Amino acid sequence: MKAWLAALAASFTGLSCAGCAIERPEPPAGVLSVSIEQTSAWVKNFNPLLPQGASRWPTRNGIYEPLQIYNGVTHKWVPWLAESAVWSPDLRTLRVGVRPGVLWSDGAPFTAGDVVFTFELLRAHKVFDSNAVWSFLESVTAPDERTVEMRLSRAFVPGMDSLLQQPIVPRHVWEKIADPMTFTNPEPVGTGPFTEVKVFRNQVYEIGKNPRYWQPGKPAVEGLRFLAFPSNDQANMALIEGAVDWSANFVPAIDRTFVARDPKDNHYWSPLFGSTVFLYANTARAPFGDVRIRKAVSRAIDREKLVQVAMYGYTRPADATGLSDAYADLRDAEAGAADWMKYDTQAASALLDEAGAPRGPDGMRQGPDGKPLHVDIQVVSGWSDWVRGGQVIASALRAVGIDAKLRLYDMSAWIDHLQRGDFDMAIAWSGEGPTPYRFYRWLMSPETVVPIGQVAASNWHRFGDARAGELLSAFERTADPAEQGRLVRDLERRFAELAPAIPLFPGPLWGAYRTRRFEGFPSAENPYAKLTPNAAPESLLVLVELRPKVK
Amino acid sequence: MGYALRRLGFYLLAAFASITLNFLVPRLMPGDPASAMFARFQGQMQPEAMAALRASFGLDAGSTFQQYIAYLKHVFTGDLGRSIAYYPTPVTEVIGTGLAWTLVLTGVAVILSFGIGTFLGTLAAWRRGGFLDSTLPPVLAFIGAFPYFWLAMFALYLFGFVLGWFPLRHAYSYDRTPGFTLGFILDAVHHAVLPAATIVVATVGGWMLGMRNNMIGILGSDYITMARAKGLSQRKVMLRYAARNALLPSITSFGMALGFVLSGSLLSEIIFSYPGMGYLLVQAVRGQDYPLMQGLFLIITMSVLAANWLVDITIAWLDPRTKTNE
Repeated sequence: MKAWLAALAASFTGLSCAGCAIERPEPPAGVLSVSIEQTSAWVKNFNPLLPQGASRWPTRNGIYEPLQIYNGVTHKWVPWLAESAVWSPDLRTLRVGVRPGVLWSDGAPFTAGDVVFTFELLRAHKVFDSNAVWSFLESVTAPDERTVEMRLSRAFVPGMDSLLQQPIVPRHVWEKIADPMTFTNPEPVGTGPFTEVKVFRNQVYEIGKNPRYWQPGKPAVEGLRFLAFPSNDQANMALIEGAVDWSANFVPAIDRTFVARDPKDNHYWSPLFGSTVFLYANTARAPFGDVRIRKAVSRAIDREKLVQVAMYGYTRPADATGLSDAYADLRDAEAGAADWMKYDTQAASALLDEAGAPRGPDGMRQGPDGKPLHVDIQVVSGWSDWVRGGQVIASALRAVGIDAKLRLYDMSAWIDHLQRGDFDMAIAWSGEGPTPYRFYRWLMSPETVVPIGQVAASNWHRFGDARAGELLSAFERTADPAEQGRLVRDLERRFAELAPAIPLFPGPLWGAYRTRRFEGFPSAENPYAKLTPNAAPESLLVLVELRPKVK
Repeated sequence: MGYALRRLGFYLLAAFASITLNFLVPRLMPGDPASAMFARFQGQMQPEAMAALRASFGLDAGSTFQQYIAYLKHVFTGDLGRSIAYYPTPVTEVIGTGLAWTLVLTGVAVILSFGIGTFLGTLAAWRRGGFLDSTLPPVLAFIGAFPYFWLAMFALYLFGFVLGWFPLRHAYSYDRTPGFTLGFILDAVHHAVLPAATIVVATVGGWMLGMRNNMIGILGSDYITMARAKGLSQRKVMLRYAARNALLPSITSFGMALGFVLSGSLLSEIIFSYPGMGYLLVQAVRGQDYPLMQGLFLIITMSVLAANWLVDITIAWLDPRTKTNE
């Protein structure tokens, strides 16, 4: 018995030593390890036309490229596959000058024909047209090899965002695909810096660099490696241990758990460029159609406490424009300082009394119809930051006499309720884009309002304002940045006046990196692009700048 | 043989019922796959594209009954359709990323746990009040009472992170090509030790206690006294007379456990980043992925039924009385 045990123990130690020799946390030299998507096993899919998130991360951030990239940090369009993009004077035609000398990774030249072909695929397959560009496009043609003319059915300047950032696929490959909808594109041919699938297994895959990349001398990184992590905990452990160089995960107490381990090389930068998180009150349901009630709810919430409890202080309270720091240069300070965003329970109570929602005999408020006011706040179960936020809000509302309860739902049930307008209040994200156009269109355009019961992709709180609608439509018809800026400020003032929804805090874009093996990451000191890899296609801007560290 | 065939007929009926339930249950959930996908893309999708997406998933194709007929046809031709959460990858390919790993990891862990637990239970009951009997059951019950994720994280932290004896994640090293080579198999075994050991440690106590209690009941029977009186060797009485009969109830639970092997072990998969069916099942439910759910449920129910059928036959062999009772 004893001998048997000893033999067993010996075989285990033998195994573990064999293991020590095998296991190296760091990838080979020059290979950058990125942690962004979370899964327990990789499934191959490099189809860039499917909705974002269906295909693996490098599809839109390394293999396929758009015509131009909007840099959300410098607020500039960066010419990419297109050297130029110019509106005609009537703003009905976008003339795109295609970059000469670009090759697909199989050696074929990239031409204007590929761009036309890609947009025709979008027209033929509605699923590929996530941004519904064909709702305002009339035609896409190539007068010559180097020029693409996009003809719009009406002047619609914000449409440029989706047109220019559409990933372009090679005609000579995709025209042979019988059903592009179910094509997983196992051997991708792209123009991007990383196109060669070197390894693809359920636990790891690697994409090597494109030998024919059009930017001379780039990329300096040899390849990208992706390890499968089913949870944030595992991904964070790999980051701390050194198996990951660049990560988009939320790391709790990052200064202590990550930076302190190697202050010279471990860094993070999580600017507040993410989508603003809102408390949406369903304005089609009593009593939230009344602006005083919405403002009272807002005044009842202590946002300083909210960002501490829900977000561990990684963000700040939103202001009355609702804008995140991505639009900091467009923010109207006066509109942002509107009083309904300031925490004041007495003012909140006064507003509620004034709006005809007095306290009943039990101290809880009644609606203007005389019935007790019950409010459910819907949050996705398991999204712990929002759940904590919802708890803070529910207890704040109860403090001013509104009987608010937190309701947790599975993600798909939650989004279903939002889209059909089947909620009192809910915590949810907001629209994003290069300009605040989409943000305010989501929040208060009459065009996005649909009746309760029908599916709304945006404007879940069902709020439309005619004046805001006019401003948005004026925005669609001007390409002049100064004029756009004026219109955005008018929209901000309108928002601050009407409180269509209740802004909570701007979302941080999580990003952490290690400079032990690579350098050139964006940071607060060198903010040339967004650090987070969770920003297709902007991560291309980072991938071509990164370089192995010379030791 | 007749008995085995009669049971088979019963199981075919049960299989048909479960195939039908596999179709119905996912559709009774609130929400639908297209909105789940919309939520995953954080609203980066216009309603037109969503409608087209719904159409491409075949969700609007015909009535529920027509969908059911199409589903039956597909099941019998082995076509499980395309996953929605991993669109457009076929369900068989998605399941393929985890099936073999789950089968080996959870399967080996369940068999080891059953084998070790039953053996220890037999010994403990045989030497009742002995060292083994007085120490192991409380210790194992103590360990088994810990939440599994705590036990697994502790093992990962101690043996993986602090001592570095075992890898921190995954089923094999990144730079190994999977294949039937000695190096790869050793590497895979090395990776499987921690997850498998934690499952065994967490479950072995149950098997041991069950077996011990059955044994004690049996040991009081007249035929054991008789066997001893005949002067049979201790070992023969313990194994052939007592353990064989004490095993019967354990075999039934073992069959169930074996059948559920393919549903994977979600917590060990998540904690050790191990590929497997448990995670896929959760993803399928979260993403309202009807085809993937149907595929996974189909495999799980079939394996549960197959395991039960095998248990029936084994019990009939161990205890011939069950056959005559029919």
